[in-house]
Amino acid sequence: MTREKMGNILVWILIIGFGAWGLPGMLDRFANGHVDTAYGSYIPWGLWISAYIWLIGLSAGALMISVMTYVFNIEAVKKVGKMAFLVAIATLVGAMISVGLDLGHPLRAFSLILNPNLHSMMGWMAVLYSAYFVTLCVELYFAIKKEQTRGEKQKSIKRILVVLGIWSIPLAFAFHGGVGGVFANVIAKPYWHGPMLPVVFLAGAFLSGGALFATVAYIWRPNQSKEEFLKMMIFLGKTTLALLILDEILELAEVYVGTFYSAYGEGHIWQEILFGQYWYTFWIVHLLIGVLIPLFLLTAKSKSPGAIALAGLLIAGSFLAVRLNIVTPGMLDPELNGIASAWVHSKLTFIYFPSVMEWQVLLFIVAVVMAVFMIGKKVLPIYQTAGEEL
Amino acid sequence: MSKEELSRVSENLTLETDESRREFLDKFTKGVFGGLVVGGVVSVLAPVQAKAQKEGSNLNESTPFKPFVLPPEQPGEDAILRMMRDIQRALKKPIEQRHWNMVIDLRKCVGCDACSVSCAAENKLPPGVIYRPVIQQEIGSYPNVGHITLPRPCMQCDEPPCVPVCPAEATWKRPDGIVAVDYDQCIGCRYCLNACPYNARTFDFGMEYIDDTADAPQVFLGKEKAGKYETEASYEYAKEWKRKEDASPIGNARKCHFCVPRIEKGMLPECVVTCIGRATYFGDGNDPDSLVSELIALPNAFRLKEEIGTRPSVYYIK
Ligand code: SF4
Ligand code: SF4
Repeated sequence: MTREKMGNILVWILIIGFGAWGLPGMLDRFANGHVDTAYGSYIPWGLWISAYIWLIGLSAGALMISVMTYVFNIEAVKKVGKMAFLVAIATLVGAMISVGLDLGHPLRAFSLILNPNLHSMMGWMAVLYSAYFVTLCVELYFAIKKEQTRGEKQKSIKRILVVLGIWSIPLAFAFHGGVGGVFANVIAKPYWHGPMLPVVFLAGAFLSGGALFATVAYIWRPNQSKEEFLKMMIFLGKTTLALLILDEILELAEVYVGTFYSAYGEGHIWQEILFGQYWYTFWIVHLLIGVLIPLFLLTAKSKSPGAIALAGLLIAGSFLAVRLNIVTPGMLDPELNGIASAWVHSKLTFIYFPSVMEWQVLLFIVAVVMAVFMIGKKVLPIYQTAGEEL
Repeated sequence: MSKEELSRVSENLTLETDESRREFLDKFTKGVFGGLVVGGVVSVLAPVQAKAQKEGSNLNESTPFKPFVLPPEQPGEDAILRMMRDIQRALKKPIEQRHWNMVIDLRKCVGCDACSVSCAAENKLPPGVIYRPVIQQEIGSYPNVGHITLPRPCMQCDEPPCVPVCPAEATWKRPDGIVAVDYDQCIGCRYCLNACPYNARTFDFGMEYIDDTADAPQVFLGKEKAGKYETEASYEYAKEWKRKEDASPIGNARKCHFCVPRIEKGMLPECVVTCIGRATYFGDGNDPDSLVSELIALPNAFRLKEEIGTRPSVYYIK
């Protein structure tokens, strides 16, 4: 059985498994709204918001691969541009479902597209995501079209793709840096507040999205020779490694500044992240699975494509832990001491661990993301890369 | 109809016409430019217009205040009567000339929670939603301990961090100082909950007190009767809100609004009248003769987290 076939079967099993497992959670969400979630009014954002920034980050990272293909003409990723668009679209859809389900009135959110409050970073998100979604679809359309045409027409489509690619660079910076801004602008939360967060968000997005793409390209490799394939995987591996190092430098800076003098508010939060109840999220899920093992795999002498793909999967998957550690700890400190015991209720606490229903919904969303990718891959001519490249 | 009432009605009419024109222009501009990121500069103007429109939407003017007779002023009368007179005076002024303020005397608060409970009853608050919890804290270490009780309504900040973050423009600062929420517009993103430096906003999760109540009408009161409270309408922001599945205010951010519908009728906020220690005062801070103005001027009056620049409308006395 080819790798691709095995990948297909495995992913479809995961889609069905996650979908079936997640369905009760989805039904609960639609029947009872937010009642069975573990977040409340003092920790208002939880797993779904973390999943949203995780997925939107993956999307932004995948988009950057397509930019490398169409704007920078990087040889190694010449044939995977369309697949990068598809990954970006699938993860964007997942991110939108995740944030949509988190809203109290999801349907009203559509009105934001034409009527946003542009003083609000979140208002901007509505505009930017719409622009991003349209851009991705148009780019994918032209990327497919490009290979179905020849001569002058192909040249002009290529030019369009370059223009769209250039446009998507500031767009990606805006919408993902913007998500960082959604958090960084909140003066009330010292752990979030500051100019560093949008940068950290961007670095993380490019890292996790690039890493995920290494896995995807490994399993569903395009029509390429063995050398081309190796070249592509090594390029993706090197990019991922560079981004991983950059991301870790930024993280180190954050931990250092946050803990060195136990800066107001932040020191205590870092204490909680590193040595609190959920210490394993940082040390095991993030540092061991998401950083050290991939680092080992990516720096190994053998440069095996399988190892690069595995490293990519570990980084991309465990990045949810990074996002969770950005979102939830920020809200751990009461704004006023004693507020949690002033009026006692399960939705008025400063303790959070996602409920079973929240995990189920997340699994369902992941199943949807994979299904969008698999169906897109099947119905769209993603693999027709045999045509002449310009 | 008195001359004054007539002029108020005509004022209303002008407001309405201006309103619809502004609304049309606003919608038109946003419809055309809203989706264009490139046209960002133009779009940036749009929320400003919308804000102006909201500020003009004067809930008080729409239900003209009918003053009622209060007993003549007497020496040593209850502060409640004086504050009611203060409110009546304020309501005769145009909305933008009043500024509602609250003063809480921490020396008098006994931490009985009467204000929290009466507020919940007045606004028909479901479980998990609270507008005015009373924080109780012990300070110091034994044997040198003290006890603080601090009621915490929404501060109705003059620079409210919860307002600009709202992506849907569902929350805004009224000209009389109250920070309002439009439940019909709020998408329930809870950004404002995070932005508030006082934890003053809570989310309506759609819970009910009778959620796990046994339903055996013959034996107990029965779920339906016991749950009558849950279906009673609240009248926040001068509108009837009946709780039914998924309908606002379920799924919305909620917060103290200084009892807007009560003040419009010349009544004091519920927490003020039910405070057993007479520790909470309310009135027009723009009126130098009001009781709150006198109290705010005291040297021991302070505001919470003054240093972050939110300029709360709630003062404390210690
Ligand atoms: S106390 Fe909080 S909710 Fe109230 S106006 Fe200030 S920031 Fe907004
Ligand atoms: S929860 Fe409602 S009021 Fe608060 S920011 Fe979101 S849309 Fe605005």
